[in-house]
Amino acid sequence: MLFVQQLRGELRKLFARPRTWMGYGAFFLMEALILFVYKLEGSQRHMRDLLERNGLEFGTYYSSLTITFTIMLVSMFLLGSIYFALVAGDIVAKENEDGNLRMVFARPVSRLRLLLVKYTAVSLYTFSFVFFVGLSGYLMALLAVGRDGGLFVMEPRMKVFAAYPEWWQGASRLALAAAGIGVSMLTLSSLAFMFSCFKIKPAAATIITLTILFVDMILQGFPFFKPYETCFVTWRMSAWVFLMESHLSWPKLIESYAFLIGLDISLFTVGWAAFQTRDFKT
Amino acid sequence: MLEARALCKSFGGKPALDHFSFTVHRGEIYGLLGHNGAGKSTTLGIILGMVMPDGGDVTIDGVSVRAHRSQALRKVGAIFEAPAFYDYLSGWDNLRLLMGYSGGFDPAAARDTIAQVGLTQRIHSKVRTYSHGMRQRLALAQALLPEPAVLLLDEPTDGLDPEGIKWFRDFILQLRRDRGMTVLFNSHLLAEVELMCDRVAILRDGKRVFEGAVGGLHDDALLFDVALDPWDRALGLLHACGGELVAPGRIRLPHGADPAALVESLVRGGIRVSALAPVRRSLEDLYMEIHHGATAPN
Repeated sequence: MLFVQQLRGELRKLFARPRTWMGYGAFFLMEALILFVYKLEGSQRHMRDLLERNGLEFGTYYSSLTITFTIMLVSMFLLGSIYFALVAGDIVAKENEDGNLRMVFARPVSRLRLLLVKYTAVSLYTFSFVFFVGLSGYLMALLAVGRDGGLFVMEPRMKVFAAYPEWWQGASRLALAAAGIGVSMLTLSSLAFMFSCFKIKPAAATIITLTILFVDMILQGFPFFKPYETCFVTWRMSAWVFLMESHLSWPKLIESYAFLIGLDISLFTVGWAAFQTRDFKT
Repeated sequence: MLEARALCKSFGGKPALDHFSFTVHRGEIYGLLGHNGAGKSTTLGIILGMVMPDGGDVTIDGVSVRAHRSQALRKVGAIFEAPAFYDYLSGWDNLRLLMGYSGGFDPAAARDTIAQVGLTQRIHSKVRTYSHGMRQRLALAQALLPEPAVLLLDEPTDGLDPEGIKWFRDFILQLRRDRGMTVLFNSHLLAEVELMCDRVAILRDGKRVFEGAVGGLHDDALLFDVALDPWDRALGLLHACGGELVAPGRIRLPHGADPAALVESLVRGGIRVSALAPVRRSLEDLYMEIHHGATAPN
């Protein structure tokens, strides 16, 4: 019960800061931009060609669900990662820099508990943000192209191709994918959180996290590393796309999510070890 | 109530505390004095478990901070110089948040405490709109809400105006009177320490160089300001009694000497004694003596 009270306080703090809302605003703008592009005649022609080449009907798959999938595919990793790294990189380091942690440390609370509260808050922020992007993207697409239609999925890099003609089938897969993206993005948040636990400036925690992720992504694209692509964190983070396959491959999904969850636990443990042994002094 | 035993701490090989021990008794106000970097804040950091000591331990009401930090701090409140609240939250939300880490928030108790510190009118305003004095009042409220038995004050009156300093001092003294609170007071303001504390310790380079009762500082039974004529003959008689001249017009008598006997001897010797007054030393005198002169006896 006390943990819930502490978590509520942490969330109140998190959502009282304008920085936290920056990401929501940025995604609104980007969703509007993607919708605008989708409504362009040239874009619709390209989509029509793509669908008809694959033997699918444009009227069924040019839909709010397909647009929502595109928004999540395109935006989450590139733009979302910045906000997750910013929020998670700040959560401990910024409070230390501002001196707030001293006030908390004057309380009978263990460092582990404090970190658990903060990590839970970061996790909730990560999941809520992913679902916000999915939901707001869908609502905007709904206004633009209407409710009817199925879901068309094509992700060449992960070799995923699927089509769901029924709305409910597509919608349920998108909801499942949002949960998968949440777990993937949690790894990014965990990385930033770990750095935040070190004696480091908040901006440094964010920048180091993004650097590691982008280097991982760039290296993964090298032909030399193709046989080892599953060893890259960003490849594992893209595993959520497998949730869109017509026939779910559970071994593949379990392997990737076990990898990510194991990594999250390791990152938290390293962060906690650094935090536990540090001196906090003005 | 609060006992520190042989605290040692180094930062980057430079000792910040060197076997520093002290005890604060229940209901006592104990002052920690020292120059910047003397080890005062490190001591407070160790008491609160923010700084890991290289050696030694602190016990609060018999509970070790190193072994059982959460239990030891259950009855502790702390105020820091320039307390860092969450500026984007109201004072009320700050209290609610901080009390979440102290076993829960009781709105009724919070309202009482806020009224005591005189912050009722502004408690729902954002902290970023508070003056320094209001922040210190909020700091006092957050420290008092867990109903502490021990209050740790780290430079709490720095930056306050004279009226604010007096209000703060009176409030702390009243807390001690009404609740028998134990207070550890860390400050640069010697006059404040003198007015508030029962005992003080002076730190220099992490070592305790003095500990004693503030009341006992005032009268040095051996040191006198005198006006004697003629001086040359008076000095001879003074030396004969075992006394010495420590500064122009100031003499020190040996332990056990009776000033009345000296006066009698001087008068019999034909010396005109127009003044003989015991020296009243302030804490500042003592502090300056220690920092610019020889180490005072403990």
